[in-house]
Amino acid sequence: KLGRPSELPPEPTPGYEADEEFLRRLHHVLLEVEVLEGSLQCPDSGRRFPISRGVPNLLLSEDEA
Amino acid sequence: GGGGRPPRAAGMAEAEAAGDAGLGPAAAQEGAQLAELAAVIGATVPTGFEHTAAEEVREKLGSASRISKDRGKIYFEVPARSLPQVHRLRSVDNLFVVVQEFKDYQFKENKEDALKDLEDLVKKLPWTDPLKVWELNNSLKKKKTKRKKYNLQSPASRGKLSDGGGEGEADQNNTNEQEDCAQNPVAVEAAGGRDTENPQGVASRNGVEEEEDNEQSDVKAEVQASSESGSKAGEGQTGEEGEAKVLRFRVTCNRAGDKHSFTSNEAARDFGGAVQEHFQWKADMTNFDVEVLLNIHNNEMVVGIALTEESLHRRNITHFGPTTLRSTLAYGMLRLCDPQPTDIIVDPMCGTGAIPIEGAAEWPCCYHIAGDNNPQAVKRAANNISSLLRKNESKDSSAALGVPLDVIQWDICRLPLRTGSVDIVVTDMPFGKRIGSKKKNWDLYPACLMEIGRICTPGTGRAVLLTQDKKCFAKALSRVGHIWRRAQTVWVNVGGLHAAVYLLRRTSEPAQDTRPFW
Repeated sequence: KLGRPSELPPEPTPGYEADEEFLRRLHHVLLEVEVLEGSLQCPDSGRRFPISRGVPNLLLSEDEA
Repeated sequence: GGGGRPPRAAGMAEAEAAGDAGLGPAAAQEGAQLAELAAVIGATVPTGFEHTAAEEVREKLGSASRISKDRGKIYFEVPARSLPQVHRLRSVDNLFVVVQEFKDYQFKENKEDALKDLEDLVKKLPWTDPLKVWELNNSLKKKKTKRKKYNLQSPASRGKLSDGGGEGEADQNNTNEQEDCAQNPVAVEAAGGRDTENPQGVASRNGVEEEEDNEQSDVKAEVQASSESGSKAGEGQTGEEGEAKVLRFRVTCNRAGDKHSFTSNEAARDFGGAVQEHFQWKADMTNFDVEVLLNIHNNEMVVGIALTEESLHRRNITHFGPTTLRSTLAYGMLRLCDPQPTDIIVDPMCGTGAIPIEGAAEWPCCYHIAGDNNPQAVKRAANNISSLLRKNESKDSSAALGVPLDVIQWDICRLPLRTGSVDIVVTDMPFGKRIGSKKKNWDLYPACLMEIGRICTPGTGRAVLLTQDKKCFAKALSRVGHIWRRAQTVWVNVGGLHAAVYLLRRTSEPAQDTRPFW
């Protein structure tokens, strides 16, 4: 979640490979936006992994492993 | 050449300059002829990657290469005007122009006689054309130092940037990187960082212990040299032997073989003496214009003139770590896996990021992911990438052209990547000497191979792994035979250690997905 009104649907819709508009938005989010400070959240466990200076830290702690 | 002139092939610029300076058609024609002069170039490359380098030469220069028996060297012929492209080769450490090659030189058994032969050889060698090439190369270098920064073209196109000393030739490549990608490099200006960790060293041989030394002439200079270091090359003038241009020089001799009656030091000294006599140049060990190379490998001998000073191998790295890999080796490893456009390439133990950075520069149509568990390494890798981005900044727009590369801090045994989602894994595995330990490798290597096997796409995935701990690697590999097959091994030399690069292919067998925590 980038804190903006959602430009992307929650799931890829069928036939997305041909949807130029969607592909542009996807490309933008994937390759043109860089999170410098923030976090990534695991969709299953809800565990947050911090991002600092553009680098996410995905190391698990001792008890999580 | 003129500063305001649009960049052009070297020969054309020289011819034009000569014409403009009112030197008349003869000089202009000489300039154009210089451009077409056939230069035999020798290149030193990481041992083991001679064929890779030859492929790159074929691909980028259209020339076939000869691979020398003296390991780590290849030879090819190009017109002098191709020098800028030669400097942009990414598999090459150092370059020189060949004066003459001797395939089977009979060194006399007696030391005095052998050395006398070398002295006598000097005046018989065909110096003229190679010196012209050297001068041309010099004028290219001068242009490079004048311009500290290169402009990118507008964000819509990618300019080819000069690496080790060419002109900033603008090449309008296709702007749509997603599709038609010609895989042209965004070459990075030489970082200028000195190699303090791994000595470039002499190419050492695996197995055979041969007497080898690498020393330089100890002929000392006495008189002040008035150096006209070939900056007038642009006007088509050449440094003919006997002309009153006093250059400073030194001789570097590399000698390998157990049947020679002399040392490299002696050869350099006597050869150097004859060079001084012949050209009336001044010898100077540190501040030289011309570096004459005398490479002797058993009965093969090559006399050359150096075209590079600093080795190009550390070009991308500004922040070194304790075991930073040289970029030429990184390039060789990447080429081995034959990256295709849209491939996802991961280095899960990236250290300072040498491999992914080289990858992103040369294969911009792939997506590169760098990861390491060590916070220092991650920081250095991120800094190296920032340096790269800063160099790529366009003067016009404030936005830096992005680089298809990301850094993550992670654990190699628990990679946060989906099963079968990665095309290529390339990495420099801990040797157990400077980082980690041999004992740790016994556990690390199998776990590593399993996890790398999981993330790679069955059937098409491949891995290129560099390691010095060959025994441990072989054992680990034998345990994962169901997912990895060894396709090729390249024996290399890394900082004096005998290491191996293994190319592995992922079998079609799907990985077991036993991941409760991701």
